[in-house]
Amino acid sequence: MNPNPFLEMTRRQFLGRTSTGIGAAALASLLNPQISAAQGVAGLPHFAPKAKRVIWLTQAGAPSQLDLFDYKPGLRSQYNKDLPNSVRKGQRVTGMTSNQPRFPIAPSIFTFKQYGKAGHWLSELLPHTAHLADDLCIIRSMHTDAINHDPGMTLLQTGSQVAGRPSFGSWLSYGLGSDNAELPAFVVMVSRPSGSGNAQPLHERMWGSGFLSARYQGVRFSAGKDPVLFLANSPGITPERRRAMLDDIAGLNRIKLDDYQDPEIQARIDQYEMAFRMQSSVPELADLSKEPASVFERYGPESRKPGSYAANCILARRLAERGVRFIQLYHRGWDQHSNLPAHIRSQCYDIDQPGAALVGELKERGLLEDTLVLWGGEFGRSVYSQGQLTETDYGRDHHPRCFSLWLAGGGVKPGAIIGETDDFSYNVIKDPVHIHDLNATALHLMGFDHTRLTVRNQGRDYRLTDVHGEIVQAILA
Amino acid sequence: MKASLLDALFIALTFMVFEAHTEESSPTTKMEFNRDIRPILSDACFHCHGPDKNTRKASLRLDLPEEAMKKTESGVFPIVPGQPEKSDLVRRILTDDKDERMPPTKAHKVLSTAQKKVLRKWIEQGAEYQIHWAYLPISRPPIPRVSLNPVDAFIRQKLATENLQAAEEANKITLIRRVTLDLIGLPPTPAEVDTFVHDAAPGAYERVVDRLLASPHYGERMAVDWLDAARYADTNGYQVDRDRTLYVWRDWVIRAFNANQRFDQFTIEQIAGDLLPNSTIEQRIATGFNRNHMINEEGGVTPEEFLAEYTANRVETTATVWLAQTFNCTRCHDHKFDPFTQRDFYSLKAFFHNVSEKGVGDYSKPSNVSSPPFLPVPTPVVSAGLAAIQTEIKQAKQDPSSGAKERLSKLTKSLAEVEETVPVSLVMDEATPRETFILLRGVFDQLGEKVTATTPAVMPPMGDDLPRDRLGLARWLVDPSNPLPARVTVNRFWQMLFGTGLVRTAEDFGSQGEPPSHPELIDWLAAEFISSGWNIKATLRLLVTSATYRQSSKFTPAAHQRDPENRLLARGPRFRLQGEFVRDQALAASGLLMEKIGGPSVKPYHPAGLYEQVTEGSGTTVYVPSKGEDLHRRSLYTYWKRSVPNPAMMLFDSPFREACVLRRPRTNTPLQALNLLNDPTYVEASRLLAQRMLLEGGSSIESRLIYGFRLVTARAPRPAEITILKMSLDRALREFNADPKAAALFLKVGEATTDGKLDVAVLASYTNLASTLLNLDETATKE
Repeated sequence: MNPNPFLEMTRRQFLGRTSTGIGAAALASLLNPQISAAQGVAGLPHFAPKAKRVIWLTQAGAPSQLDLFDYKPGLRSQYNKDLPNSVRKGQRVTGMTSNQPRFPIAPSIFTFKQYGKAGHWLSELLPHTAHLADDLCIIRSMHTDAINHDPGMTLLQTGSQVAGRPSFGSWLSYGLGSDNAELPAFVVMVSRPSGSGNAQPLHERMWGSGFLSARYQGVRFSAGKDPVLFLANSPGITPERRRAMLDDIAGLNRIKLDDYQDPEIQARIDQYEMAFRMQSSVPELADLSKEPASVFERYGPESRKPGSYAANCILARRLAERGVRFIQLYHRGWDQHSNLPAHIRSQCYDIDQPGAALVGELKERGLLEDTLVLWGGEFGRSVYSQGQLTETDYGRDHHPRCFSLWLAGGGVKPGAIIGETDDFSYNVIKDPVHIHDLNATALHLMGFDHTRLTVRNQGRDYRLTDVHGEIVQAILA
Repeated sequence: MKASLLDALFIALTFMVFEAHTEESSPTTKMEFNRDIRPILSDACFHCHGPDKNTRKASLRLDLPEEAMKKTESGVFPIVPGQPEKSDLVRRILTDDKDERMPPTKAHKVLSTAQKKVLRKWIEQGAEYQIHWAYLPISRPPIPRVSLNPVDAFIRQKLATENLQAAEEANKITLIRRVTLDLIGLPPTPAEVDTFVHDAAPGAYERVVDRLLASPHYGERMAVDWLDAARYADTNGYQVDRDRTLYVWRDWVIRAFNANQRFDQFTIEQIAGDLLPNSTIEQRIATGFNRNHMINEEGGVTPEEFLAEYTANRVETTATVWLAQTFNCTRCHDHKFDPFTQRDFYSLKAFFHNVSEKGVGDYSKPSNVSSPPFLPVPTPVVSAGLAAIQTEIKQAKQDPSSGAKERLSKLTKSLAEVEETVPVSLVMDEATPRETFILLRGVFDQLGEKVTATTPAVMPPMGDDLPRDRLGLARWLVDPSNPLPARVTVNRFWQMLFGTGLVRTAEDFGSQGEPPSHPELIDWLAAEFISSGWNIKATLRLLVTSATYRQSSKFTPAAHQRDPENRLLARGPRFRLQGEFVRDQALAASGLLMEKIGGPSVKPYHPAGLYEQVTEGSGTTVYVPSKGEDLHRRSLYTYWKRSVPNPAMMLFDSPFREACVLRRPRTNTPLQALNLLNDPTYVEASRLLAQRMLLEGGSSIESRLIYGFRLVTARAPRPAEITILKMSLDRALREFNADPKAAALFLKVGEATTDGKLDVAVLASYTNLASTLLNLDETATKE
């Protein structure tokens, strides 16, 4: 570090300025990455948070609420009957089923049981999650505006169907900075289905920073030697060689700094040092070899496969332990337009045991109380079958009007059940929760008034919840 | 602009660059509405007391003087000129009563004591309103000192009022590197530097500028910013994100800049080239501008929903690029800050609503022809081939012999095959007239009133002679009576060279945008731009030949304390290069750059596995790097997949290219450092740069170091730098001699070959040194 009085003056100037959104935060961190790492934006969060970090277990493709969480025993007797018009009310369906001559009701073939003191109804597909029933707050009355994957996932992640807004994780890393100067504040991990699930593509924009600075975008972690892009030294370059080279770069940059006095040069020197630290901290984080066998047993057989959802769940815990603010997993393969029973079994095999192990471990290690865990997809699935309906097989189309999602951890009321849908799991009939409401509530748990976490762009103060969002009090512990 | 229309135009603002002005003002300072008042009113009041009638509270609007000064429903006068004590506005902002205080708590807007004083003083001084500066006709202010370059005259006038002095001129080497990177996005060669340094005749610098403006690389450099504005990409963007073909349009942009096409014509051809009388193929290709938006091919989507997206995107992009107005706000409601209505939005949409497009791409077709309308643009060779097959088909049809039928079917098949290889370019047409309705709250199936193609009500009206179609719209846009396009465009040129626009908010010249730092200068430049015949090269030449541009960019404590962001320009610009040019420079310095202009996009080195994690369907789901020369093309030719954009460019703040972007952020992050250190692109470039040092840099270590340093930074290293470089080289050589395996591995990165006769340890140590050079702050920076 260069204790240059001129730079000190500059830093004071920048930090002393009133908060003008991105500018102040970015400039402050330019001068010292440690500052932003610790502080985020001055004045944030707005109040003491219940949760310090988020783990978002995103189930991409839209899991069927009817086969997992939203138990509708009455539907058995409705098998293959037409969905009454009084339920559908002419609402929009996708072009994939709008030409179907009928909308035959497809009751779930899976059995449900009640679990825990909470009495959550859960399907046989989620035996491990069921053990955690009393830790979960299940929302059965989620609803969204989008009916197709791309806009739906974009809405879930950024609060708008139109591309270009910052994602939830980037809002948080903007607002809070990082607790760990050697790791990004917002980490994303993507996994594919182990079986033959119908996977929908994902887009980087879903963890993009929109009009916030690129420094807040999610950093994708991958399995392999380069968990973060370009992290590993080039072949033939040892850590000692790299250190020597960085010292040379820093020496030359300091000569330039003395000549030009531009604080940006000091910032660059600091960023190279941080890059070097990441080269040891990230591999240490990503290295699961020192995890005991019992951990892998707990997370299930897939957890030994690098890049699997289960392995990513172990990594999520390790990231949480190291103070990463926003850890987002995406598991693809939930888009079950046909062969739903077979595909959902394999999806649940992928996610049930590892997800339960993650929540369980967080709890045992005392991390669950200040970690907010969310599990869910971008919308729900239709009660009527898409394509051929038989006693053992059916498909389900997209359904935006209701879906289920669960939360656990920091500030969440354990065992709560929020909302209700009609007998067909078609319309919400009690306590609807829009994605904006969910985001408002999650931000509240993180210490933010969602109406005041704003950034000026194109003359307007934007926020994650746009102009919507009510805190769902029933979620709060 | 008509006076009656001006009355309706009252608004703007923001950041606090010159806040010191208001806070430090003495009691006698004259408040100016546009500078001092509008920013406060717009940000804190207009949301409820501004143009949007649907959210207006208490029927009060403060954006219009006659409204703000009349008696309200509750019987008070918000503003009484000259009498702050009688003005209810003053009472309401000063009161301690929480229920009475404005802005109300729930608005989350708090007026500072200084702002309250400013408002009070303005009313005391007579509460004079002004029309928002950006909507006023462009004046051509007198040049303060005619002996100077006009840019310098305006800049120095302001510096003098702030008691600051312009810096001395940068040295010639710094200067030629600066202007070369700015105008062609590549570094100067050592020979170019030498020529300039030794050219003692008057006009040496101007000769460099003219050479650069005539370079074919100038068009490539200019295209980069235009591609951001036009949201250019090589894929459709939604869901499976299949490929599209629009590079033909991208190449048109490069040609247009190189030919120095007038900016008004450049505008007309891109918006309505297809509607020009006897339009040429080139003019039709130009209309690809408005097909650059994302296109959905997802199964089950409602075509009308996405048709509404595409047309809205065209309105928003056009309004941003040419008017710097935030029309996206008016898609769902009247504007909160600026005098535009929802009707204006949909009336503009009507211009873009007659394209023979489907709303949804046809996923069953090859991706290049799934979204009509498009234009086949075969190369001459392919055209000749097609013609030959067609002739043969004709002959076969007339041939009565027995084998002819079989031959015919073969020929038809090969015709189809060749046709599939013909490049197409998405274009606009006017083939499907549609009715246009206001969409309530912007929702695609909530139809409101029907509208027709009209320009926004408060702007200068369209001439009666103009057709009510895209061609009329384009001509209206660039009519000299429209004050915005020229101001907005010269501001972007300023931003490109100086790092920040005269108006910082290049995309928002409305009420919430920032007022210009130099109002007279932006007007003078806009007037000059128009009177020069919308001459882009002449305008850039004027800017880069100014003494302001040519100043040294070294920081001085006095100027930095007074003006930390250098908006007053008491020194030259110094900031990080755009990602494209960081890479292009490395390729050029190493000699790897393949200078071919245009053509299909290429796939340089790219980390493995990124696509596979997230892609699906029949798009490009696996990234297969190009081979040979396509690995080393300029970065603007890099294949741009919207769902997984080039990761290195993203680290350097490239936009996703999903929506129009006129201003990139400039971050400085550890991930950028990792990219420059470890990306095979730069490791390979380092090896080739090392080879140049060894083969072309003379026989002494020192001469080689100097040569390498010059290739990258244009200048020779100083003694202290040479000391570090020599020690660095010594140590690396020792280490690589002791570990030849490591040296060999290091030299294997990248496809380009190096001379096998070079000693492995020597080449490795020079490669290490070259990598050091490519990672210097100075290298990534224009200074």
